[in-house]
Amino acid sequence: MKMNLRTLLTGVLLVLLLAGTIFFIKRNRAVPTQPGASIYRAALKVQGPKRAPVKIVEYSDFECPSCRAVQADIQGFLKNYPGKMQLTYKHFPLTSHKWSIYAHQAAECMNAQGKFWPYHDMLYAKQQEWAPSNVPPVEILARYATELGADMNRFGACMADVAVTREIYAEKEEGNQQQVSATPTFFLGKERFVGRKEMQERGENAIRKILGLSPKPMPEPKKDAVVPVPPVATSNKQGVS
Amino acid sequence: MKGIDPKSLKLGFLIFCRMFLGLVFAYSGFTKLMEPVENFQGGMAAYEIIPYAVIPFLAHVIPWIEFLFGAFVIVGYLPRVSVLVLAGMSSSFVFLILATRIVTGSLPADCGCFGEGSLIHLKPFQVLILDVFNTLVGIRLAFLKDHPFSLAAFLKAKS
Repeated sequence: MKMNLRTLLTGVLLVLLLAGTIFFIKRNRAVPTQPGASIYRAALKVQGPKRAPVKIVEYSDFECPSCRAVQADIQGFLKNYPGKMQLTYKHFPLTSHKWSIYAHQAAECMNAQGKFWPYHDMLYAKQQEWAPSNVPPVEILARYATELGADMNRFGACMADVAVTREIYAEKEEGNQQQVSATPTFFLGKERFVGRKEMQERGENAIRKILGLSPKPMPEPKKDAVVPVPPVATSNKQGVS
Repeated sequence: MKGIDPKSLKLGFLIFCRMFLGLVFAYSGFTKLMEPVENFQGGMAAYEIIPYAVIPFLAHVIPWIEFLFGAFVIVGYLPRVSVLVLAGMSSSFVFLILATRIVTGSLPADCGCFGEGSLIHLKPFQVLILDVFNTLVGIRLAFLKDHPFSLAAFLKAKS
């Protein structure tokens, strides 16, 4: 194809104009690259020592299959680097998951009773039970709370409390401001990891880097390493939700 | 009342197709460029057949190709080359979706085609239809010798 100088110059100008527009817009709408200190009570869902060198913030949705699957990796990290990691959980209920907000509300109500983490684990472990429900799974969520010894009067009142819902959405909004829009999204300092595979591939090495350890070699892809969750999940496995 | 000239109708339709193709890609690239690259990286990683080593590179490059060539198609700069590039990308997305479904037996919940924060969220099967359409449109437009209302036509007239 013959291209004359005028065409070439027009192309260069066009590219400069378009790229300039992108850089200009991006620069003027810069967002924080890592979550700041939260002012919301609902944000206090932390496990691991306060002085841990590795601080991970997780934006997650209880109904999201990838969020469930990544829990095994996170637990693995906490086990492999004991006392070195602090994990903060942030609510990010996706609108595409219809029962998600109920689960987040229930988890927040358990948080108020100091039982957030066991309930968190239960919600993910039993996701296949409550998530496919045809009706709001309030009874199932209440049953889980009972099993964990919650004060059910407090739990019931909390489930109807709009202020709790507001706090959950405030936390989600905090995530929106960091341009979180897929779950699970993790922040490790300034670094962001979206989805399970990212956390597996880059996340652990980022942790090791902070701890001054040598990076792990990239694992060979193994079929069973992709979805270590109950077999039911394999047929319904999804990527970043 | 006189009927509409079929030639004009065809021309109008092809211009509409060009605009549609360009807008889809320009918007897709733009929304990705406005977000942290990790969001698109995560979206791509959800297609488990893409080798992870190339994902960071692709996540940086693809949005720029989509945005620039989408804009080229809209304004009609190097229209035949640009539509061919976009048709090539559309067909590779078709291949990706089909291959992922065949190899892994599942597909990501969201296609990841538009940035996560965009207004459009398509499921992979919806984007498959869109990509097949875009591939066909791109190939058809590549056969068009002259693209009216384009920068190329303007430059040709000037020279």
